[in-house]
Amino acid sequence: MKAGIGLSIQKNALLVGREVWDQASIKIGQDKIDFAILFTTVNLASASLLKIIKNKLAGQPLIGCSSQAVITNSGIYKHAALLVLISCEGLNMNAAFVKDIKTKGALSAGEELGGKLVQEFTGSQREFGIFFCDGLMEEGSKLILGLQERLGKSFPIIGASASDNLRFHKTYLFFNQEIFTDAAVGILLGGGLSFGLGIKHGWKPLGKPRTVTDSHGNVIERIDNKPAVSIYRDYFAKDIAGLKKELKYISTLYPIGLYLEGEEEYLLRNILSIEDNGSLVCQGDIPLGSQIRLMIGNKESCLLAARQASEEAKQNLSALKLGQPQKYSSIDIAFVFDSASRYSLLRRGAIEELKMVKNAIGEDVPIAGFYTYGEQAPLKAIGYHGEAHFHNQTISVLGLGG
Amino acid sequence: MYSENLFNILGLASIFIIISLAIALAIKIEKIQELRSSISKLKKSLEETDEQAKLIVRTDIELNKTQDELDKKIAGLYALQRLSRAISTTLEETQIFMNIQNAHLEDLGFEKGVAFLWNNAEKKFRLTLNRGYDEEEIHSIMHNLELSKEFYLRLIKQEMAVSSFSLQDIKHKENINRVFKVTHFIMSPILPREGTTGFLFLGTESTDTILTEGDEELVTILANQIGQALENARLFEKTWLAQQELEKKVEERTRELSELLEEIKKVSKRKTDFISAVSHELRTPLTSIKGYASILLSEKLGQIPKAVKERLDKINRHSDELAQLVNELLDISRIESGKITMKLEPQDLKDILEAVADLLSVQLKTKDIKLDVKITKETAKVNADRNQIERVFINLIGNAVKFTPAKGKISVTSHPSDDFLQIDVSDTGIGIPEDALTSVFDEFYRVDNPINQEVKGTGLGLSLIKHIIEAHKGKIWVKSKLGQGSTFSFTLPKA
Repeated sequence: MKAGIGLSIQKNALLVGREVWDQASIKIGQDKIDFAILFTTVNLASASLLKIIKNKLAGQPLIGCSSQAVITNSGIYKHAALLVLISCEGLNMNAAFVKDIKTKGALSAGEELGGKLVQEFTGSQREFGIFFCDGLMEEGSKLILGLQERLGKSFPIIGASASDNLRFHKTYLFFNQEIFTDAAVGILLGGGLSFGLGIKHGWKPLGKPRTVTDSHGNVIERIDNKPAVSIYRDYFAKDIAGLKKELKYISTLYPIGLYLEGEEEYLLRNILSIEDNGSLVCQGDIPLGSQIRLMIGNKESCLLAARQASEEAKQNLSALKLGQPQKYSSIDIAFVFDSASRYSLLRRGAIEELKMVKNAIGEDVPIAGFYTYGEQAPLKAIGYHGEAHFHNQTISVLGLGG
Repeated sequence: MYSENLFNILGLASIFIIISLAIALAIKIEKIQELRSSISKLKKSLEETDEQAKLIVRTDIELNKTQDELDKKIAGLYALQRLSRAISTTLEETQIFMNIQNAHLEDLGFEKGVAFLWNNAEKKFRLTLNRGYDEEEIHSIMHNLELSKEFYLRLIKQEMAVSSFSLQDIKHKENINRVFKVTHFIMSPILPREGTTGFLFLGTESTDTILTEGDEELVTILANQIGQALENARLFEKTWLAQQELEKKVEERTRELSELLEEIKKVSKRKTDFISAVSHELRTPLTSIKGYASILLSEKLGQIPKAVKERLDKINRHSDELAQLVNELLDISRIESGKITMKLEPQDLKDILEAVADLLSVQLKTKDIKLDVKITKETAKVNADRNQIERVFINLIGNAVKFTPAKGKISVTSHPSDDFLQIDVSDTGIGIPEDALTSVFDEFYRVDNPINQEVKGTGLGLSLIKHIIEAHKGKIWVKSKLGQGSTFSFTLPKA
């Protein structure tokens, strides 16, 4: 397998297109390109850029999305485009998209995307899927459910929500030369490619467990038969107005942790808003009856999680080799889907997080990544046959090898 | 009997079972009570842990907030440092604002930034910086600014930053947010010491931004630095204009002087040509006069009376003087016109000076003047035309003898000076008045002193040797004090 990465910080789409293509294609050389992945910051998310790249691709699929910043070996860029070209012998794949999620509903949109992906998949065995969805969609968990309806509950899917520059205004999805909002794009892969995934957040539970006694979708109405906000009111000794004022800190530093039977880590849920009636609006669903905890973390635990996730991805890819000796164990490219909240929390320390990843997977392994508004992956990443969940505040590292 | 016994046994067994059950029950109850107590202890401990968690969380959030503020300040200071460097590297107004890039503003926590300067002549704000707004947006901002310019001018006059965090008037705050399409902002006046004032506006659409007094301070510092940079630019412009003016004047004067110099050169050439022509014309009859006078004096044409002989002697002497004058004039004009080229060859100054001392030995002896030549082997070699340099020494030492009272001293020394040797000829003579020092090398100039009144001279000697030295690419100058002697110094290229 060969992976080429091209980065451009130019402002003009034409120049960006040429630059990313030239850099990425040099590394592929004369080999056949199989598919392309593109991440751009919002200022460069344009149809003209996609058209330039698409014109250079000989019909191979391109998927991608917009982001607050893109991540690669040389750093984190707030105004840039990052193109990844993959070439892999014996690769089977199929890329697809779904539009108008709001109208269709997240569940049926997920089903539609899953259906399209499976339908035209060439080859006998599909191994995993990568997908990107609109970062502003409210029912991310349902989209996964829909996908799982078609792909199977334990089928490994790794995804990330597109983001913008924290304006929460519009996020974009790329599919070939088209640019969408309110959509999701994905690719199913199988054949000559192996993968290893690591996903971690670094937050630890604190205080006593509580039970969700009333919830609808991503809104928790009551916890232990009291208004949901009481969990924060008790811990921070502040009224609703005071909590709302500090929502930025509360949301990222002290999210709610969802206990899932048999999983190692808690599933995090950031608080998007606190309603006047005391309900908590979360980023992602919280089922009724869930056991929840208040979670606590800091920059150090965040950085440690980045290392653990990277090591896990490396180990998982190596582990595959044991079962299938014909496969390579080294990472040829690492995709990093890092939460935008972590970026806000780490600020200048974000570069430290990148260093952690590089240290763990190897300095020379090419890295392509972006900051997401949500991550989708199996929670217990080591046993990747686990069910995929909608995550918040994690860093997920997906290592690919040929 | 058998059945009675069986009944008894069963009864006993039942009693035993009941007792056993009762004991087991009692133990269970005790265990349950123990468990209950443990559970209640655990519950208590859990509650206590939860209480501790509350304390931890409250401390933690405060710590995080402080850390965050600190991080933000450090990042802001870094950004400010970079910005300061960027804006202080230029002295041009447009460049100052061009150097403020999106990335700088983002490091300060903003993605939008504009700056306006007040144009007093046109009574309106002039846009000098735009980061983050498209054409339509900036047009709308400028339109709104025009409508409420009094408000913004008042803000500038207050000489204080305002922000969405500090502005008390909600109506104004909302209006600014609406006009500039932001949710948080900081606005600080740009106040150069003199000249145009204005304001810097930085804003963000991000809802989770928390602005503090620290941010306001940073933006105020930035606006002050812009003010300072504008002030520097203005002063530079002023100085530059003055310099331009000065340069123009210098250029004009230089041109005038060059023209004059050309004119002088022309006149000087005409003079040289004239002298050369006249001297030639003079020399021929002079040779005849001298020749005839000599013939007459030799009395080959018959004896001549004493009185005639005396007059003829005078004619002969004056003819010699005139011939010397003519020769010197001719030499000067030849050197000036480049007709004489110096035959530069390695020379030993000691040899030359020996010959000169020999030539002047009579004069030196007559006045009992000591000639002290302090030239070593190392400081004797020059590249020069021997005959011409002999003339220089004869002239200088001859002059020194002339103006040095009896029993005086003349010394000749030399020392290296870069690629040249500097030769000093000093005497203990009467010296040269200060006002005459600049003229001694001029043609026909003679210092006004009793000796010159008594002894005749052409006034061309020093002028001639100046020409000779300059033809060697050397320099000649004099230092003197009345009554304390003179030192003539000149340089010649080292051999």
